[in-house]
Amino acid sequence: MKLTVADYLIIILYFAFVVGVGFIIKKRIKSSKDFLSSGKNIPLWITSLAFISANLGAQEVLGMVASGAKYGIMTVHFYWVGAIFAMVFLGVFMMPFYYGSHARSVPEYLLLRFDEKTRALNAVTFAVMTVFSSGISLFALAKLLEIVLGWDFDVSIWIAAGIVLVYTFLGGLTSAVYNEVLQFFLIVLGLSPLVIIALQDAGGWENIKANLQPELTHAWKYMGHADTNPMGINFMSLIFGLGFVMSFGYWCTDFLVVQRAMIAKNMNAAQRTPILAAMPKMLMPLIVVLPGVIAIALSQPALQDRGYHIPIDSAGNMDYTMTLPSLLSHYYPSGLLGVGITALLASFMSGMAGNVTAFNAVFTFDIYQSYFVKNRSDKHYLRVGKLVTVFGILFSIGTAYIATSFNNINDFLQLVFSFVNGPLFATFLLGMFWKRTSPDGAFWGLLCGSIAAAITHGCTVAEGKGGWITEWYTISSGMGQAFIVAAVSWIANFIVTILVSLITKPKPDAELKGLVYSLTVKPVYVGSKWYQQIAPIGLLLIIITIILNLIFF
Amino acid sequence: MFKRISQLSFIIGLFFVIVSLILIGGYFFLDALKYRVNLYSGLCFLLFGVFMVMLKTGERDA
Repeated sequence: MKLTVADYLIIILYFAFVVGVGFIIKKRIKSSKDFLSSGKNIPLWITSLAFISANLGAQEVLGMVASGAKYGIMTVHFYWVGAIFAMVFLGVFMMPFYYGSHARSVPEYLLLRFDEKTRALNAVTFAVMTVFSSGISLFALAKLLEIVLGWDFDVSIWIAAGIVLVYTFLGGLTSAVYNEVLQFFLIVLGLSPLVIIALQDAGGWENIKANLQPELTHAWKYMGHADTNPMGINFMSLIFGLGFVMSFGYWCTDFLVVQRAMIAKNMNAAQRTPILAAMPKMLMPLIVVLPGVIAIALSQPALQDRGYHIPIDSAGNMDYTMTLPSLLSHYYPSGLLGVGITALLASFMSGMAGNVTAFNAVFTFDIYQSYFVKNRSDKHYLRVGKLVTVFGILFSIGTAYIATSFNNINDFLQLVFSFVNGPLFATFLLGMFWKRTSPDGAFWGLLCGSIAAAITHGCTVAEGKGGWITEWYTISSGMGQAFIVAAVSWIANFIVTILVSLITKPKPDAELKGLVYSLTVKPVYVGSKWYQQIAPIGLLLIIITIILNLIFF
Repeated sequence: MFKRISQLSFIIGLFFVIVSLILIGGYFFLDALKYRVNLYSGLCFLLFGVFMVMLKTGERDA
């Protein structure tokens, strides 16, 4: 893939704009709250777009296109079974607790609802996860630029990290959020022409369906049994593992995304942030799943005259990860290619900056201020927050270089996510809706859930991964294995939390007001306009999602 | 005008207007960019960019 001066001009323009945003936001930063939690003055449309953009990192954009090519239209389940329902649930039921408790972070909510040890366990695991995740984004970015454009790996890492450092150091969370919105539009508008051109070249959706195996173009029809679909799971595992545990675990408890709703101006805006975000999220499969399905169709013998084929790796297998870059290279001419490459750069940088800003807040508020240096001036914590930004970026560079030594570190990271996020949702669900849940119950449930996840992974094998205890059960896809690991960890956490809570002392009701559903005054928006109502819009989104599932059944 | 430069909708709009000018200008003046997809995409980016520049979002100035 060769870039021309026009392509480089667009890339440089993008870099100039993201750094420029940092300088503009810098004037607003007066306190640690401004830097780490945006001072809660961000408009609704920005928090909503940032909410989904924080999730538009490397794994999302490259990964979903790759999954579209590998698993076909079933990949939409991440959106139409997973994300939308979870986002509506977050907006309707959980935001009143997060926002109403005035917690500055998800771990801080755990402190208010439970105790120090539960907060510490979540804060430390989350901080480690975000740094690794940020490093993986950086590694993937540099690797992509090295393979696709022939750029030097080291130079790519340091330039990308340097740019993210400049704008997050100058403007903190606000700057990261503003750039995420710019990145969202760039990704959507930069990749939309690709979908149109490739779809037209493939002869339209009907021709794609005619040339692909039916299990690749139906979302539900072949989910009755694990052996009849490419994901290797049945509908029950999908609905419980992905639709309930993994999606709700991620969208409702991961501070990286929840933070974007917590910085809204007021409760109504905080509740509407994930609900408004669900609207564009519902359509994202058009941008990130459909290209993968088109790519696998174009790789079929009947469409080989189109001249496109999914790249083959050194082992002779289809290299699904490179599907999107190869589509860009095949269909985009000079000029638009610069826009496409910039969209990819934006997604990697967006993922990295999101992780760094979440790491900042959790480290400064939940680790440094809570356990190391208490009761210092706000200026002190602002300085620490800025310093943590620098260290967060340096750690990310370190983990990016670690990733070069271990070719399976991304798989390892995904596994760690399922160990931590899967069980965490059980803690929140019980904590928010069952006031009897005790601090000890939450802590031991969380710990046992993570251990159960590790044991499940150690006893199952999928695509050669797992089975490090014993190869007890074989699953045909790594994704199916992740769903099962998450489901088991959630069940273990749920049961242990209930059992331990029943034999240990809960917090008194007086300390749980605003933190538990039955002890919280529900926000009522009397006289509000229809679009300010939370539940009706949430319900409408769910109905539309069900219709989409039926259309692609 | 100066105040608007610090608003996100304006910044996003400006970015897409400049990108569209590169694509549209390139289509007319550079052989390497003479592809219709560049022209059509550029026109779409221009429309979106102008819309965002003109948009009043009630956003706070920096």
